[in-house]
Amino acid sequence: MSNVYIDQFPAEAKVIRAAFYSSFLALALGGVFGIIQTLHRTDFLRFMDSVDYYTVLTAHGVFLVISFTIFFLVGIFTWAVTTSLDRGLEDIRFTWGWYSLMAIGITMTGVAILAGFTDAIDMSASVLFTFYAPLQAHPLFYLGLVLFVVGTWVAGVDWFRSWWAWKAENPDERIPLPTFMVLTTMLMWYIATLGVAAAILLFLLPWSLGLIETVNPLLTRTLFWFFGHPVVYFWLMPAYMMWYVMLPKFSGGKLFSDPLARVVFVLFLILSVPTGIHHQYLDPGIAEGFKFIAMTNTMFLLLPSLLTAFTVVASMEHGARQRGGEGYFGWLKALPWRDPVFTGMALAGLMFAAAGFSGMINAGMNINYLVHNTFWVVGHFHLTVGTAVALTFMAVTYWFLPQVTGKALWSRSVALGQVVVWFVGMTFMSNAMHRAGLLGVPRRTAEPQYEGFEFQAAVGSIGELDAQIALGGVLLTISLGMFFANVVGTALNGRSDDLPANEYAGALSGPDDAPLVLDNLKLWTAIAVVLVIFAYTFPLLSIIDRGGLFGPEVIPFPLTVESATTLGFALETAASTSFESAGEIATSALTAVMR
Amino acid sequence: MSQATEESASEPSAETIREIGHDEYDPVGTFALIGLYFLILVFLWFFMYFVEFLGNDPTVVSGTAVVVALV
Repeated sequence: MSNVYIDQFPAEAKVIRAAFYSSFLALALGGVFGIIQTLHRTDFLRFMDSVDYYTVLTAHGVFLVISFTIFFLVGIFTWAVTTSLDRGLEDIRFTWGWYSLMAIGITMTGVAILAGFTDAIDMSASVLFTFYAPLQAHPLFYLGLVLFVVGTWVAGVDWFRSWWAWKAENPDERIPLPTFMVLTTMLMWYIATLGVAAAILLFLLPWSLGLIETVNPLLTRTLFWFFGHPVVYFWLMPAYMMWYVMLPKFSGGKLFSDPLARVVFVLFLILSVPTGIHHQYLDPGIAEGFKFIAMTNTMFLLLPSLLTAFTVVASMEHGARQRGGEGYFGWLKALPWRDPVFTGMALAGLMFAAAGFSGMINAGMNINYLVHNTFWVVGHFHLTVGTAVALTFMAVTYWFLPQVTGKALWSRSVALGQVVVWFVGMTFMSNAMHRAGLLGVPRRTAEPQYEGFEFQAAVGSIGELDAQIALGGVLLTISLGMFFANVVGTALNGRSDDLPANEYAGALSGPDDAPLVLDNLKLWTAIAVVLVIFAYTFPLLSIIDRGGLFGPEVIPFPLTVESATTLGFALETAASTSFESAGEIATSALTAVMR
Repeated sequence: MSQATEESASEPSAETIREIGHDEYDPVGTFALIGLYFLILVFLWFFMYFVEFLGNDPTVVSGTAVVVALV
């Protein structure tokens, strides 16, 4: 028997393959919608009506950040648990059960979104990934999301079952690092998804079904961000896991410190959730003090990311020096840059360093006003989830796909080209998005150009930025094409006997150096829950107190042209009335001052 | 079969020309690289705060300054 994953765990390899292919299907769909909207926004190619822009944007967001990322990560989590515990899952039917739940759920959600393109079916869900009320989706959208999330919960149970069974047989051993990472990530996910579960099950779904008349938009929005920030760590922690347990191996070295890796994951478990309000710095109705607490927690969250930067770079350097690298910077030349798996992950890490900078700007309460709701933010998350996570996932696919199919990779050269083209494309696109945001160009807009108004650029011009964004988008699409060529080419290959063994990196400083308390998952979960209670109880109570549990009267707003026109008229009337009254107040105030 | 531990040893690949253990390894390159990153971060943050943020009117901070000046 060889040491390839598919030979060690054939049944599990099948589930992982299914999860990967589901993930890649979502990536393909999301990519298509990505290029459509890039060319539309930048006005290079507009073949659809701008009214459909939100449908495209919703599909792009949901398919990529929900289905692509999460299907992929359940695949590698299954690999991580089985490989590091060296035992198969307890009951493979249970495993297929959660995979099916996820697949059925996301299909329902996807159908609801895509139905928005046709008038033939009375269904739409053009509510974007954030599904803020009063934007209202068809119930199928929310139901699908619920099933999908429940599927991930059951998946977590599956991995915990494996760990419990293993612990019973190995009572005195430390939790192997990859399993430790899976368990802490899932604990974080259980806490985080309570927010979105409450938002959907208590408010949005009953509202969409017509069981309740109204919702409190600030409440559902706050509950969304309760989940919406930690979900980014749900994407990122698997990428971190790859950087910790795989990248050192591909660099030719060992993980610098196993204990430090455990500390990082524990910090993510306790700090990821009580930070969501930092997405709502501009939301009226949440007191500044609560926002300040969220900012403090967010700044603490920089710590595990900076610890990761140190540990991962130190592990790469260890590999480079073992390969003969010398000097302060000369060791970088000794790294295996011709290996697509390594290069993809290293470039993803480099992009993440840039994202660290824009994230610091987003996180500051005052400086956030400069970039809030601008294209800057879109540039930021295309560096994080769009590159740090997506490029890492694509790069490790070149190692995992042979492991779970038993077939050799179709082409290493195409793979290497693919990761580099992605990096170059994203450099153009994301840099231009950041700069456009600084000029005040808004996000979530089909036609960000206005008559009688021009964005003032100190350097360059809007035309130049648009060209860079479109060029970047085209390069990213080409890169995706190369990726799929490799996936399909590999799937069509015959079985190979010449595949690398299934193993992950060793550690210079191993688990025995880590304090035992780090493995005390109950303790960290309890601390995480307490922090969430501290950060969220008072804001939520105050939101309910001001706006009511089900809110003031809100007109449900499925996105159609008629309702948009009506709403536009209503807003215009309201705005002109308030301007008039503001003018009167100002006049009277001025008169009073002059007296 | 799984972790390439020190015993089962991450099979020294063809490119590995020397083994560096825990005690011999001194990550000066990491120090240099992270130090450089830190300097870039500090520079960019100063640029963002003083040029982009304070230089773009109106801001909360400059707004406050105007109010204070008026009072």
